[in-house]
Amino acid sequence: MNEVAVRLRVNGRDVRASVAARRSLADFLRDDLGLTGTHVGCEHGVCGACTVLVDGRTVRSCLLLAAQLEGAEVTTVEGLTPAGGLSVLQAAFQECHALQCGFCTAGMLATAHELLAENPAPTRADIRDAIAGNLCMCTGYVNIVRAIELAARRLRESTAGRP
Amino acid sequence: MSRWVGAPLPRKEDARLTTGRGLYLDDVARAGQLHAAMLRSPHAHARVVALDASAATRLPGVHAVLTGAEAAAASRPIRPLIPTPVPLPDWCLAVDRVRYAGEPVAAVAAVDRATAEDALERIRVEYEPLPPVVDPEAALRPDSPLLYSELGTNVLWHDVFAYGDVEGAFAGADGVLRERFAIQRYASTPLETFGAIAEYDAGLDAYTFWTNDQRPGLTLAILAESLGIPQARLRLVTPDVGGAFGNKRRPAYLLVCALLARRAGRPVKYLEDRLENLGALMHACNGVMDVELAYRADGTVVALRVRDVADEGKNLVSPTQHNLIKLGNIVNGYRIGAVAYEAYSVLTTKCPSGANRGIGKPFMCFAVERAMALLARRLAMDPAELRLRNYVRAEEMPYTTPPGAQYDSGDYPATLRRALERFDYAGWRAAQARARAEGRLLGIGIATSVEPAGTNLASYELITGRRAASGSAEAAMVRVEPDGRVRAALGDPASGQGYETVVAQIVADELGLTPADVDVERGFDSSTTPWLYLSGNYSNKFSVTDVGAVLGAARAVRDKLRRIAAHRLEVSVDDVELAEAEARVRGVPGRGLAIRELARTAYADVLGLPPGEPPGLEARHAHQNPLARPVGADRTVRSQLVFSNAAHCCLVEIDRRTGAVRLLRHVVVHDCGRELNPLIVEGMVHGSTVHGLGAALLEEFRYDESGQLLTATFMDYLKPTALDVPDIEVDRLEHPSPFTPLGAKGVGEGGSIPAPAAVANAVEDALAELGVTVRSLPLTPERVWRWLQNPEEAR
Amino acid sequence: MIAQALESPHLDPRRRGRDAGHAVVQRAGALKPAPFEYVRARSLDEALAALDGDGKILAGGQSLVPLLNMRLVRPARLVDINAVPGLDAVRARPDGGLDVGALVRHTDLLTSPLVQARAPLLAAAAAHVGHRAIRNRGTVGGSLAHADPAAELPAALLALDAGVVVAGRTGHRRLPLAELFVGLLTTSLAPDEILTGIEIPEARADGWGFAELARRAGDFAIAGVAAVVRGGPDRCTRARLVAFGADDRPVRLRAAEDAIVGRAASAELAARAAAEAPRDCRPSSDVHASAEYRAHLVRVLAEDAVRDAVGRLPA
Repeated sequence: MNEVAVRLRVNGRDVRASVAARRSLADFLRDDLGLTGTHVGCEHGVCGACTVLVDGRTVRSCLLLAAQLEGAEVTTVEGLTPAGGLSVLQAAFQECHALQCGFCTAGMLATAHELLAENPAPTRADIRDAIAGNLCMCTGYVNIVRAIELAARRLRESTAGRP
Repeated sequence: MSRWVGAPLPRKEDARLTTGRGLYLDDVARAGQLHAAMLRSPHAHARVVALDASAATRLPGVHAVLTGAEAAAASRPIRPLIPTPVPLPDWCLAVDRVRYAGEPVAAVAAVDRATAEDALERIRVEYEPLPPVVDPEAALRPDSPLLYSELGTNVLWHDVFAYGDVEGAFAGADGVLRERFAIQRYASTPLETFGAIAEYDAGLDAYTFWTNDQRPGLTLAILAESLGIPQARLRLVTPDVGGAFGNKRRPAYLLVCALLARRAGRPVKYLEDRLENLGALMHACNGVMDVELAYRADGTVVALRVRDVADEGKNLVSPTQHNLIKLGNIVNGYRIGAVAYEAYSVLTTKCPSGANRGIGKPFMCFAVERAMALLARRLAMDPAELRLRNYVRAEEMPYTTPPGAQYDSGDYPATLRRALERFDYAGWRAAQARARAEGRLLGIGIATSVEPAGTNLASYELITGRRAASGSAEAAMVRVEPDGRVRAALGDPASGQGYETVVAQIVADELGLTPADVDVERGFDSSTTPWLYLSGNYSNKFSVTDVGAVLGAARAVRDKLRRIAAHRLEVSVDDVELAEAEARVRGVPGRGLAIRELARTAYADVLGLPPGEPPGLEARHAHQNPLARPVGADRTVRSQLVFSNAAHCCLVEIDRRTGAVRLLRHVVVHDCGRELNPLIVEGMVHGSTVHGLGAALLEEFRYDESGQLLTATFMDYLKPTALDVPDIEVDRLEHPSPFTPLGAKGVGEGGSIPAPAAVANAVEDALAELGVTVRSLPLTPERVWRWLQNPEEAR
Repeated sequence: MIAQALESPHLDPRRRGRDAGHAVVQRAGALKPAPFEYVRARSLDEALAALDGDGKILAGGQSLVPLLNMRLVRPARLVDINAVPGLDAVRARPDGGLDVGALVRHTDLLTSPLVQARAPLLAAAAAHVGHRAIRNRGTVGGSLAHADPAAELPAALLALDAGVVVAGRTGHRRLPLAELFVGLLTTSLAPDEILTGIEIPEARADGWGFAELARRAGDFAIAGVAAVVRGGPDRCTRARLVAFGADDRPVRLRAAEDAIVGRAASAELAARAAAEAPRDCRPSSDVHASAEYRAHLVRVLAEDAVRDAVGRLPA
């Protein structure tokens, strides 16, 4: 069928929808759910702007069909943002000036989130390797690396430990 | 005394941009909006014989279709920047001829983008292919196929400029170095693509555009003229913009949306997809520069002669910019007394060119800095020494170059020396020698450049022969609201430069507030933001022109606050100062009035105002950069107005076996005068430098001989990732401009200008023993490998 | 990669063109797929039944969805097999080898202790595939079925002498990997067959090496070589050298292999083998590299891969 029923969880909330078969997860999140924090930069899986977390792992939401997400748990940048404030990563991005236009930031944060969950003490080389799949046209990456490094240190030092 | 200007304040806009709460164009949903897609020519050059869109119109979900013929009937041609001997009408869609692969020929508005793309497949177009024009030098030849037969040539502009005794200098020189350099097509490709939403209000006969266009002043003029509607009935709104770098301008797309919106009776949204963006929006000109340096035996360069062929693609709207900007900056940081410059601005059947970051200066700097490197080699001089010998010196500032640019301040020798020191030049030369002995190919490259800011539109008179626009100006507004908080707006829409924070810093200093107290309007809205034809985000003008507008408005409000306070406190205005959100009496602690209270007087309790003082606490101010001048009778002109400078030192290693170039270090020492926000400034230097590194090693829009773009996706057009570039090490000097309101200079283009030359010089240095000469970019592994195999072919 | 995709007979014949760039530009303006039906298969039988007619398997989607978005492929139906149970395990084989389910993600190959122990070459190859987000979804089976000649896993698996298990209407069949790749982006899979698993024979005592050159980390390789060598320092008894990015499919460098078998693991062995490497591949030219340069890279990378493989032989 060209319309597919799908049930999933997005940022902790249950979602039931009927989606066109060809609708990408990125367009579904943005246009159907109004979660416009995730951005679309290329629609062929290279730039990483659309990166979100599905079942805890980063994915290119432009390369997933919404129809595929039955039973899945999706986290977007909105879900990575604590109520009324900034996460440790987001605060570090602001402090280190790790964004200029901000268009790559949601994807960068998802990628950084996955990195720090697996590797709480990444080297600068580890960080560059992790974000190599996220293009930024503005910052030249220098401050993004610094921000992730700073966030990692703060998380290690804190008791909460959530990026 | 400034408390906020000069502070490395984290940005206010990051609170929303890090949390997914930005509002970019595609996030804007206008009620009932339709989505447009464009049918584009598969041929680089062809006659459009027939176009039948009837099947597309019948597809369910399609609400409007627009063909070129219909666009021509419903709109006026888009005015080109330079008048041509015969009219070359250029509508928002191609009518009877297509002149680049990817040129739009029809458009569809449908319920969603996918349906619109389905509809495109149902449009039948019959093309009669014509010979493509791909190489700019071939395009110059009399036997070349022509994009416009009525023009009789592909040359949009050709001129020769000479300043000083060029012939005499060449004749009397000890030697002449001649070399030809080439640059590839590339672009800064902002991550967000370009687009617009157009809405038509039939009741008001008025249009509203949401767009990420970076030149609202220019675009509103074109829209009004092409739609045949007064500017008063146009509204243009710019939300958050995901990067611009000169790319975000294509009035034709706004017109297409407008015409579709009128036909459909609903708003129409169009965003380029990435393929359209890479193939059809804007490429920096590729081209060829023949450079001749006349020099004395001691290395002093006495004259420069350049023949410059710029490939503009099919660009009628804004060609010749690259040539003009190169002319204005051609002597770079050097004291060269005589200059000749021959410019060709050439049409080809390729993607239109445009004001991509640097607008020709990266190529100019590549050519000049490469020529200096070659001269150093020829004279067996250290390349740093050669430059130091030729720089304009600090004590000569302000210094006027032969074409008329005025370098306002700066110490170019000190900048280079600091860069060499930060780089540890002597240490790395020694390391290089040791590496050479081990057979490793380490290379060190130096490149330095001026970085101009603010464009004087009068310079276009050199091309057009008349003055339609001139100067550099911007407008701003500062308003204390009735509740005492402050709002500001700027006619220049931000695209990542942090204007909301820097403007707040400036206003906070003037009004005795904190930046948190000042809300700067996001983006641009022509119905509320003050703006001029000259308004927009281009040529680095924020720090040198826009700040004047902000200061003017802030100071007008400051002075009014002081007048109201002085009246209410019954003291002299001179005794009133603003601090900590209050107007205070100097030397009398405790005597003061909160800004909030003054606002109450200004807006509500107006009988309390000083006699003759009108109500309100709002000022709009437009500032003209006083450095702009008309073109001189001798054809000199200040085409750009304020000059930063920088020195780059680059360390590379070449893998002998594969030719792969690895960037090991990149040091930048720059001087942009007073840094309004050092955190933002440093970020600009990082980012602009990486643009240059991408151009040096990875990025190339390659066309085949039939005019087809071969590098049409992000899989083939390669942008630098975090693994491709090193940490950019930055240090600064600070020589304020004597001529700008805050002493600040431009910083937005910076690194993109000298970085390609630095990498090229480093690669050539690494291959020094082979005698290879680097004449073009990008330096792909295969190209370098071929030089390693056959160095004699690259000498 | 796109240029090569356009030559494949499996793609929409209306879209194939001699001129790759021309054909790509015909698509400019399309980054939303043409309409298709979607079926979420819950079992292998359901998936096989749904492949009836013009259908394509959706596994990781990292190669397929870009092609769909660009309308380079236009199947009538997508059969999503991600929910088919039993295809995503890595299991030890009694003979010392490895069974890898077709739906095992690249990321899981990298982190699997079994893969590290029994086929570390596979993990080394997987590390070069794209970036993390791509590896999280992309599957081994998908990589084989897509058969991109510049892909890492097909070459590594060929060097490991792997075989594949293929499910069809009439049951399962097995075939050596060499029989799977028959041309550019073309496998011998019938349109109604599904690759379900990969069988890797015992290789724990083999030395292995892997080398590639890409323009950027994570890009498709310009060229690469996977090497597996068996034996001891005195005598190599078996060698498999497979080049990728160097032909229309991963290709055995047999002349180079012959230069290794029977020889001692000397310092010159790798260079001598590498000198023979270009004989067996026919690279082509594209925007990123010429055939000549690719042939050169095959030699350089073969030397690296063989040196590493020989260096990993048991003492």
